[in-house]
Order: sequence, then structure tokens, then C-alpha cells
Amino acid sequence: MILRVKFNKKNYLKYIGHLDLLRLFQRTFRRAGIPVKYSQGFNPHPKFSIANPLSLGIESEGEYMDIELEDKVDIDDFTQKMNQVLPKDIRILRAIYPKENKSISSELSWALYGVTLEIEEDLSIEDIQERLDNWLARGGIIISRLRKQGKRKVMKEEDIAPLIGGIDVRDKTGSEVTLEVLMRVGEDGNLRPFDFIDALKASDIIKLDKDSVSLIRKALYKEDGDQLYEPI
Amino acid sequence: MIEKKKLDRVLNKVIKPARYIGMEQNSIIKDLDKVKVKFAFCFPDVYDVGMSHLGLHILYNLINQYDDFACERVFTPWIDMEELMRKEGIPLYTLENKEEVRDFDILGFTLQYEMSYTNILNVLDLSGIPLLSRDRSNDDPLVIAGGPCAYNPEPLADFIDVFVLGEGEEVTLELLNKYKEHKERGWDKESFLKDILDIEGIYVPKFYDVHYKEDGTIREMVPLIDEAPKVVKKRRVEDLDSMFAPETMIVPFVETVHDRVVLELFRGCTRGCRFCQAGMLYRPIREKSPSRLMDLARELVDNTGYEDISLSSLSTCDYSQLQLLVSSLMKEHGEDNVGVSLPSLRLDSFSIDILKEIEKVRKSGLTFAPEAGSQRLRNVINKGVDEEDLVKAVSYAFDEGWSKIKLYFMIGLPTETDEDVLGIRDLSYLVKDIFFNAPKEKRRGNFSVTASGSCFVPKAFTPFQWVSQDSIEEFRRKAYLVKDSIKDKKITFNYHDPEVSYVEAVIARGDRRLSRVIKRAWEKGCKYDGWREHFNFQLWQEAFDEEDIDGGFYAQRERNEDELFPWDFIDIGVSKKYLYREYQKSLAGQLTHDCRLACTGCGIRDCSMRGVFN
Repeated sequence: MILRVKFNKKNYLKYIGHLDLLRLFQRTFRRAGIPVKYSQGFNPHPKFSIANPLSLGIESEGEYMDIELEDKVDIDDFTQKMNQVLPKDIRILRAIYPKENKSISSELSWALYGVTLEIEEDLSIEDIQERLDNWLARGGIIISRLRKQGKRKVMKEEDIAPLIGGIDVRDKTGSEVTLEVLMRVGEDGNLRPFDFIDALKASDIIKLDKDSVSLIRKALYKEDGDQLYEPI
Repeated sequence: MIEKKKLDRVLNKVIKPARYIGMEQNSIIKDLDKVKVKFAFCFPDVYDVGMSHLGLHILYNLINQYDDFACERVFTPWIDMEELMRKEGIPLYTLENKEEVRDFDILGFTLQYEMSYTNILNVLDLSGIPLLSRDRSNDDPLVIAGGPCAYNPEPLADFIDVFVLGEGEEVTLELLNKYKEHKERGWDKESFLKDILDIEGIYVPKFYDVHYKEDGTIREMVPLIDEAPKVVKKRRVEDLDSMFAPETMIVPFVETVHDRVVLELFRGCTRGCRFCQAGMLYRPIREKSPSRLMDLARELVDNTGYEDISLSSLSTCDYSQLQLLVSSLMKEHGEDNVGVSLPSLRLDSFSIDILKEIEKVRKSGLTFAPEAGSQRLRNVINKGVDEEDLVKAVSYAFDEGWSKIKLYFMIGLPTETDEDVLGIRDLSYLVKDIFFNAPKEKRRGNFSVTASGSCFVPKAFTPFQWVSQDSIEEFRRKAYLVKDSIKDKKITFNYHDPEVSYVEAVIARGDRRLSRVIKRAWEKGCKYDGWREHFNFQLWQEAFDEEDIDGGFYAQRERNEDELFPWDFIDIGVSKKYLYREYQKSLAGQLTHDCRLACTGCGIRDCSMRGVFN
């Protein structure tokens, strides 16, 4: 029995890493009395998985996990019990019993990030949008990153332009600019938000203060033709 | 309160930022404007280490039970965080309200090991609090300290306003209530300090003067005011069942050293190992009842969601009803995938049987602590085990499927000869022979034995408080003697750095003149001295030289019977006479039996555990 759960992760709790988050949920299940299925063997552990783990230091408005249950539980009851025990900056938002037998990770293909940063020159929203559009249109945004090759890790160059779905300049207050960026996630290509920031910084399209960057994952989407849907 | 934006800039760049955010499950965030006394509890090491300390969870939950008090936590930031905090001008803050430490009424340190002392100065400095007690005004927090190292408080005398000696459950509340009274009628540090002198277990160093003899030893320690007692008695809680015990623990986000429920079975120990300070300090032995422990375990598991209950005590296998407790715990919690674990193991089949019952994971390693390589030396330190015990326990363990054995030893124990040291090698080979002497078809697993030797540090309030520590060169020579004598791939020998143990030994039996050296060492950049990668012996040597203090005087000097020690004004219940008698017996190689068998006359009053064994 799979329960699919949407939750958020806000404020200081963005500093909890993926493994720490797994441990937190494991203990929360126990405290909330959720009948999670355990693996067999010498070291049994609860069966659940979080889709597309968030990088450390990024907030989120919508994360997803699949939990394997021993028995079906009432969804309102589940949400209430979990939220009673969870820290206030992590909330269960929704849950469903999915009809299809497909893992949540395999369904997701895009992530929408909110990016707030300070720029070091005086530009209007329109100026910034134009520069970013040109940057994307030109293509060939090359980053180098370590990639596994057999047992070794090798520095490889990669064009991330195809992994960027679009950039919207949403707001500007003083020197603080807010963008929304659609980035590819999943097996067919995965853009890490900090790689995007590094690429943007390196491009010199806009001069930005890297220490001022803060990120929030606003949504994860599945793709159907040219339409994007939230999975729950 | 620290500005979140400022903190964010820093947290984005450090490793394990979750160390610095608080907000863990079961942490308690009060409205600081509504409490009367704000207490900042500091474990002067990194979060992951400090959060594993049971005493923190006890005092935190105890103090926070009261509406008038708030207890919040402080740890030392790791090197990377400290650097950024200094650069960005962020003062040290508590994890709960992210309030500056210097805005608290009281800053309390727990002293768990001497090598954390430079971190204490770092905490004061990062908080913007003057280091020296005499430089602090009525506007600065009161700085107090307790814990095992407070039994020789003198090396910290210049920095700490008040020491709390003994078990903290009762005295901490008495102190906080007194503070509240004084704060309500107008705070004056001086009159407060005078007013608490009649509380048992309280020591205020500024009200004493120490006079020295020509040879550098202490002539006398004199109270400067009438109210200051000549002898300070340690506090002890009489009945552990009715004593406060936490029913909840903060559950850290990051993985800590002991990430589990800690269930304290008893305090004290009756074995009388002569090197062991805790064995003397925490007498008499007092147990909690199995029913109380079952209740506590239930609450703790419910409130934390932990998957493991660790049975903690100085010698857990000595708990009189261990079998009953373990099977009851397994019965109640086993089905929920909650396990039970033992932190240490006695060298006998009883202990291994219990371990067998609880071990759900793969049978990997077993650890024993013979402490010394030869029988002669084990008698000297009164470690009541012989080779036969080891042979039996190890054979039994191999039969039961274990194949990796760890053995703990100390190097540099009093009267030690090269023959004794080489006993470490002999025991390791013996363990290997036991494994391979079994018929091939009966052997299971991939055998290895790891022996590790730590450098012996003589401690105050032990029968060895009179002895000289080995020199650094001697430690190293002995370690290599063992290492070079082992020529077998299945046997590994590790040893600890003697330099750290030397500095530890100096401070462990130091007097108040050492405050200057500690301060100097910190000024030179010493911190995290307990962490091998950060300990800098060169800087410590410079600090000793510049303050013109000879460390050897403290570490490597055999004392006379009648020498007055810096800690002699403290009454732990065990008499100095008894300790000296034990010292003499040790030199003669005579054993002292477990005192549950019959009283050995250590001086403790109202001791009630006689004759109770498992």
C-alpha cells in the first residue's frame, strides 16, 4: 500500500540535509504511530523514499515522498498525527493513494525554483529579462562538473542550456531581484540549482553577489506533452 | 536576537549547518521576556559531541519544568563557523531563541574533560564576556561550572565565578531560586556570591587564598571570609527512583555520537579500579528500580521516536536486575523495531548471554577492557579480571559467532615494566590462538583483533593521585615496544598521542596558577585540544614557558603521603586515608574486592548496596 505525500520545508529547516530528513521522518512515523512497512533482514528499516532530494540550504513549498504502509490509514488522520509531531517548519500538505503503480521519482521532470539575489548594477526588470532571454537563446551554457566514469570521477564539461526551461524576472526591490527558473529534474537530465547560479555568475550577464542568493523550490512537476502538472 | 539574514549568509557556507539552528524535536523555546532567570547551558565542544551528553538532557528538562526559568543550549561553533561568525560580527547565541549568550543571567559550563578548557575561553570570548571572573561586572552573566572535572576546579579558578560539585539535580534549582530572589531585590554579584556559600556543593574560588611552600607545593588554602567553608562537600542525590529523570530528550537533526535513548540504570560503581576517577567520585552505588526504568523507557521512546535504547552506567553489566530489565524491554519494544544496546561489556559469559539476547544486527565486533597486559599489573590497578576470564569470555564469544575483538589497554600504569607492556602483545596473540585453535569447520567470520593503548593520566581523588606520569618519551618507547613486537596481519595495535595525555595530566592535578597557562594557550590559538587534528603541543609548550610554569611539576612528580593537594578542600565522601591505603596496596600488588561483598571502608556514609549481585 503506497501513500504519496506532499510536504514543505521552510526557514531554518532548509539546513537539514537529505539523510537527516530521512532520519527525522523515520522517528516521526514511530512517534505518530504510522504503520510503515519495514524491510526484512538484520537491520530492518522503514520503507519510504523522497523524490529528487533537495540540496542543503534550499527551502521548498512542495516535496514528495512515497511511503509503503502495512495497513491503509485515513488520510486526514495521517496528516494530523504527523503534523502534531513534526517541527513547525515541515508540514504535511496533502496525501493520496495513487492509482498507478509508478514511483514518484520517475514521474517528475521539472522543478520550479524561486531565486532571490542582489545585483551590483542598476538595471530595470525589463533589462534583466532581456539579457537573460538572450543568454538562453544563445545556448551553449557550459559548466564543468565531476561525473562518475567507472570507479573514477572525471571533470566533464556539460551544456546546461537544454536543462533550463525558462527564466522569469518576477520582482525587483532596490538591488534585490527575484527570478523564477524552471529546471530539469530526473533521469533524463538534472540541473542542480547551485550549478545554475554558478553558471549565471560566470556568464557575467548580470553581476550578482553570490552570498546574497537564496533559493526556494516552489514546485515539482510532471510533464504531459507541453503541459506541466503537480503530481498531487 | 540574531538577525536571520545575517545568519543565513554564514550558514550557507559551513559544514553541517543544522548544528547551529536549534528547533529540534523536544527543544523548548520560551518567551524570554516572561521568565525570571535565563540560564545558558554550555557543553564546550561541537554540537554533535555535546548533544550526546546525558547530563545536558537531564538539566535542560529539569530547569525548563519551571515557568520562572529558561534553559537554552550553547556549543562551541566548529572552526569554519567560528571564523565566519568573527568575520561577520555575529556573537555566540543560544540555539533556542537565538539570543546572545551575554544577555543571559547565568552561563553554565559542564566540565567533562580537561582538554575542553580552551574552548571555554573561546565561548566567553565569542560571547563578548570578559574571560576573568574579576573583570566581569554586574551586567555580565554569572559564570558557573560543574561536572566531573569540577572536582579539581582550581585550574579554572580565574575564569569561573561559582563551581557546583556533585550531582546537579537538586543544587542547580537551589542556585537558580537564590538567583531569582537576588534579581528581584536588585542584583549585586558580590552579595549573591556570599549568600550561596551555605549551599552544600557550592565553591566560590575568589573567597579563598592559596599559600605555597618554597618547593611549589601548597602550604594551605585559607578562606578569606567567615562565610566560606573550609571544606566543600559534594552533592549527592539519595534516592534515584524519586529523583527527577527526563521523560524526553531533544532529538538532533544531525547525527550525533550517541543518537539514541539513554537510560541511566544506576550511579556509582563498586569495583574499585584504582585508576578510575568516576568510580571514586560517584560513590555510593544507587540503582533505579526496573519498574521505574520501564516507565522511563516507555516515555522516552514515545517522545523521541528513537530506534535504540542504550543502557548507560559506569558498569552496566553490574546492574543487579539486568536480566529482568533487558528481557522486559525486549518484550515491550522489540515488536516496534526498537532495540536495546549495552555501551560496555564485562568479561564474562553472563554479559555475552545478555548481548546475544539483544544483538539484532550482524555479529561484528566485541570490545573488552583488560586495561593492563599482565596479571601482576592488573592486580596493581585492581582490575578484577584474570587471563582465565578473558580466555573464557573470548572462547565463548567465538563459539557464538563473533570474530572481531577489540581490547583496551593503558600504557604507563604505576610500577609498569617492559614485561607488563609486552603483555599487551601476549594477550592479543592469545586471543588469536583461541580463534585458530578451534577446528576449522567451527570457525566463523573473518578474524581480527585490535588492541589500543591509551596513555595513563593520574587523576585527583584516585589512589594514583600520588604517582608520577610517564614522560612523553617513555610513553612513546613503550608504545613502539608493543608495536614492533607484533608481526601479524590479523593483530593491530593503536596508541594515543602522549603529548595530549601530558597536558591533560598537568591540568588534571593542577592548581590555580595554571589558569594563566590555559589563558595564554588560548591566546596563542589553542582550541579543540581534545581533537587530534587541532591539538598543537608546540603552542602549549610556549604557553608554559612564557608563564614560567613547569608542567612536569604537575604531571611527572611523585607526591609525598602528606602533600596537600589543590582539591583536598573538597569532600567527595571517600577519604584520603582510604585512597592512600589503596595506593599502598596497589604497590604491593594486593587486590581489594568488590565492595558489595563486604565494606572496604572507603569512608562513604549511608551506603546500602552491600551484597547485591546479579
